[in-house]
Amino acid sequence: MRIRLWGLSDVFACGQKVALVMLVGTGLGAQAQRPALPGYRFEFPKDHFDHPEFATEWWYYTGNLSDDSGRPFGFELTFFRQAAAQALVHAVTETPVWNLDQIYLAHFAVSDLQGQAFFHTYRLNRAGPELAGISQKEGRYWNGNWQVRFLDGSGRAELRTVTNEAVLQMTLEPRKAPVVHGRNGISQKGTDPGNASHYISFTRLAAMGTLTWKGKSYSLHGLAWMDHEFFSHRLEDSEAGWDWFSIQLENNEELMFYRLRKKNGLGDSYSSGTFVDHAGGSHFLDAKDFVLEPAGATWTSPKTHATYPIAWRLRVPSLGLDLAQTTPLAAQELDGKEGEGPTYWEGAVRYVGTRDGQPIKGSGYLEMTGYDRALVFGQR
Amino acid sequence: MSQWLLLFFRLILRPLRNELPRTALTVLSVALGVAVVVAIDLAGSAAAGSFHSSLEALTGKADLEISATGGIDEQLLGKLAQLPEAFRFTPRIEDFASIDGKGEAVPFIGLDLVGGDFLREPSLESTDLASLPDSDPIWVGSRLGLHKGDHVHLLIDDRTHEFAVRGVLNPGEAGVGEENVIVADIGLAQAVTGKTGRLDSISAIVPEGGHDIRAWIEYLRKQVPATVSIEPQGSRTDENRKMLSGFRWNLRVLSYIALVVGAFLIYNTISVSVVRRRAETGIVRALGATRGMVLAAFLAEAGAFASVGSALGLVLGRLLALGAVRLLGSTVQALYVSSQPSPVRFTPASFGMALAVGIGISLLAALAPAYEASQVAPVEAMSRGREEFTARRRGRWSLPLAFASAVLAAIAAQAPAIGRQPIFGYVAALLLILSAALAIPGLLSLFAEAIAGVAAKVGQVEALVAVRSLRASLRRTSVLIAALATAVAMMASVAIMVGSFRETVAVWMENQLQADLYLRPAGSAAADRHPTMSVEIADEVEKLPGVEAVDRFRAYAISYEGLPASLGGGETSKVRLRSSTRLMPGQRLDQSLDALTKGNSVLISEPFANKHHLKAGDTLKLSLGTQQPAFRVAGVYYDYSTERGFVVMDRKTLLRYLPDPAISNMAVYVKPGANAEEVRRRIDQVIGGRGVLVFTNARLRKEAIAIFDRTFSITWALEAVAIVVAVMGVAGALLALVIDRRREFGLLRFLGASADQIRIIIVAEAAFLGFLANAVGLALGVVLSLVLIYVINKQSFGWTIQFHWPGALLASALLGVYVTTILAALYPARTAMRLNPIEVVHED
Repeated sequence: MRIRLWGLSDVFACGQKVALVMLVGTGLGAQAQRPALPGYRFEFPKDHFDHPEFATEWWYYTGNLSDDSGRPFGFELTFFRQAAAQALVHAVTETPVWNLDQIYLAHFAVSDLQGQAFFHTYRLNRAGPELAGISQKEGRYWNGNWQVRFLDGSGRAELRTVTNEAVLQMTLEPRKAPVVHGRNGISQKGTDPGNASHYISFTRLAAMGTLTWKGKSYSLHGLAWMDHEFFSHRLEDSEAGWDWFSIQLENNEELMFYRLRKKNGLGDSYSSGTFVDHAGGSHFLDAKDFVLEPAGATWTSPKTHATYPIAWRLRVPSLGLDLAQTTPLAAQELDGKEGEGPTYWEGAVRYVGTRDGQPIKGSGYLEMTGYDRALVFGQR
Repeated sequence: MSQWLLLFFRLILRPLRNELPRTALTVLSVALGVAVVVAIDLAGSAAAGSFHSSLEALTGKADLEISATGGIDEQLLGKLAQLPEAFRFTPRIEDFASIDGKGEAVPFIGLDLVGGDFLREPSLESTDLASLPDSDPIWVGSRLGLHKGDHVHLLIDDRTHEFAVRGVLNPGEAGVGEENVIVADIGLAQAVTGKTGRLDSISAIVPEGGHDIRAWIEYLRKQVPATVSIEPQGSRTDENRKMLSGFRWNLRVLSYIALVVGAFLIYNTISVSVVRRRAETGIVRALGATRGMVLAAFLAEAGAFASVGSALGLVLGRLLALGAVRLLGSTVQALYVSSQPSPVRFTPASFGMALAVGIGISLLAALAPAYEASQVAPVEAMSRGREEFTARRRGRWSLPLAFASAVLAAIAAQAPAIGRQPIFGYVAALLLILSAALAIPGLLSLFAEAIAGVAAKVGQVEALVAVRSLRASLRRTSVLIAALATAVAMMASVAIMVGSFRETVAVWMENQLQADLYLRPAGSAAADRHPTMSVEIADEVEKLPGVEAVDRFRAYAISYEGLPASLGGGETSKVRLRSSTRLMPGQRLDQSLDALTKGNSVLISEPFANKHHLKAGDTLKLSLGTQQPAFRVAGVYYDYSTERGFVVMDRKTLLRYLPDPAISNMAVYVKPGANAEEVRRRIDQVIGGRGVLVFTNARLRKEAIAIFDRTFSITWALEAVAIVVAVMGVAGALLALVIDRRREFGLLRFLGASADQIRIIIVAEAAFLGFLANAVGLALGVVLSLVLIYVINKQSFGWTIQFHWPGALLASALLGVYVTTILAALYPARTAMRLNPIEVVHED
């Protein structure tokens, strides 16, 4: 093990390492144990920012963009916050600024869908002297020089990621108000009460900005999606991971689905989704409302040897929706081998199909976790 | 070629077999000379830890180092980390700890172990994540002998704190000094070093591609306060290299003394060889050997001695280096910088250098006698006794030349240093040695005349014979005396210099150290390392009955104009109380102290003044905290505590810019008439369990002198080796003289001299020789010591040393050399006594 890893591996030992990025936290933090319970009332802009009373929280930006010539790109920028009351680097004696109560991780990935290139990296910090954090006062969350800053009350925001390899700068303008997923303010993930999360999304963000990558600068525009989720629960023992889809259709409708996957490979009954109509109204979809099936194509990671089903068929009979999902780039795996966190596949995807018998197209992002190994929480 | 080999074998090698003792002495003298050069070269590099500051451990691939006197506000890190350029920053705490409160200070480095992901990435032993520590976690270098799970107490400044070892840094990937380091997370490191909210430095990696590093430095400069310095990583190493270069130069020059003495001896040995084989040389010449062949044969002899000697010297030097590195390491720490000795590394360069120097100098020294051998006429070789003629005839020019080089030496001594190196000082010293060597034949002649008269009157026939024969064999004898005199001169000059220095320091301490008790943190201190203790101790001690006053002093290691220096703040009013700090001539202490209390003036130490060409009345600008105030130099004071140089201001002034009240040491003045023992007991109670050491005035001085003596122990060792080489040479050379004059001794025996008389003659010769060498050596030594004290030392270190005559030391050393010289004559005397008179006389 290398020193640069012990931040992560020590801090996130006892399974926290995985918990951080996955849906479920281990709930080690004594003060950060508040369960996500029904009846939560979202208030904005307050709820765009952090909820330290919950163990785990993230802000997940993904998007499909293209330059003026139509060259397509994808991006992912995620800010994670994990409460860690008893981290292993923990010192009995330490100065308050550097305490390890909260750990901030960020992931950044860009996909050159035409050039078939994928780059991803990460950031890890504690709050320290403003090294990372979430501030409603300043209207931003940041990790080093990666940040998202809200420009006004409408949710318009500015996103900036600086790395040696790629620099992404973008303004995001919500075309629809934030959507609350699930029912009664919670997105239920398991049988136990509290085995749930508070989950909202900006499902249609008009994105415009520049990407500098490999010495070239691209002026980009397109659609982005933002998820903000916070919770204190853990993945249930029978569950191995999940598959998550965001779908932005040409007709101004969006869908989100996730399928909790059991270790035996079957879907869990707590899988669910949301349909957002063209006016921005959201409609809950439970596991019975939709059908998700791998469509055959798979990709095996040369690094982690995990095999991912990279093409799916999605059906929502009640909406007359039948979509075939493909990806222009198979290699969009964020391999956590270097200790950046868990391994998962998160990439730009395309949808083709019918809606009420009419042909329709769309784009979005697909996230698949738990394919390199089943996620194990709460133990080593 | 094969003919030459045969010649070499018959003329040179075969006879050597029969004179093993002399051969061995020659080889050994070369070996010792080379060994010392090798040892000092290796140990010098190792002791300076490649000049790598211990605190630069674990800086990894960092390009830049951001630092400030008194530390950086940690908020700056957050600001830098958010700059919209692809920099990478990591904070550092740099301190020292002693394990279980004893032993050497180990660098204690605090790093951001969560975010500092771009460090050098040394591996860790697998860390068992299952067990949570109950003590503060540290990671340790592999050479510290600690294991995962060990609990250790670290003494940092004046506090002891318990830690649990969480892992051992993998030795395979450790960089310089990283086998010997303790790492903790930044927050913990801040807390235990008392630096909450502050960072000692920030390491940075600049964005890839695009601008060069200078442009990035300029970019960052705009983001930080003016007092924050941004330097390429390794600048500290460069500064150390600059600072230590004088020290290493001096050492290296000293190490060549033994080799120079050895060169005289090679000259002598080859001369002997030439003389001894005069007849044989004549015969081989008569049989058709060319002059070139003869020259080559004798040079090959020197080459053979030198090769064997150098090879031995390499091995010996490698061994000596191990001892020398410890001595040098402590000197470097005491005077310059905390730098851990790196392992002694035998590089091809040092290997080649030693061989080249050993063989080169030997061949050079052998050139003259070998040339002389090649000039032997076949006929001349058959008859004996005229071989000294040429030498005497040539001697005519020696005295004017000697005078000329002495004059040149005097001129060179006036020249300034070149780039802080006293090059001309060394030139002056060499010229003086040359002058002495040239003057010796003439002096010897005069001396022998004088002594001969005395000896004749006293009627000691043995003495008369000895003196006359010495004069007759002037050329070789003078070389012998020159060798011994050079060694004696070196020894005497260094003895005078060190003795003067020691006395100067003692007198200075007498003036400087006027308080009764001194307190300092138990944490290990060095020239660039000023552990602190809580100022409350001083406040409480000040209130104790019997205590008249307390002087709180704080020191910081700073960098001034690219060179390391020290900054201090003391209580001017207390200094005034009793201390008699000595200022440079023409400056008044009370006026200077008045200026200091006004807050815009500083005192600077003499080495600092010399290094930066500052004098009283000048101004200097310091980077302190967030400001860059200018100060007037109110005076230059004598200081021998560190060569780094000190800038001292009033404590109030210092606190205004750097508000940390912790102190580095304190002086306690006991009220006249108060019971010092009682005060001491009360102070011990105040200290309680804290790691603070109390010294009485006497003990502090004793400790300081002990450090001084340790510093110069390596010098003495080098001297001793030079003397040993010289005395060995005397024995070998006298032996040669005896062999050269076999016929003469044979004749004397034939004419009725007893074996005892022969011995007396030879011992008397050694006595004359030793006396003359000592006399010339002492005279030369005194002159050299002046060059050392007033030119070389002043230019390389900037210290004014008051000349002091270390009479007893010199007398005993000279007597030792003299007696050894005489003893060294006993072996040749025995050889002479064993000569068979009949056989020898019949040779002709």
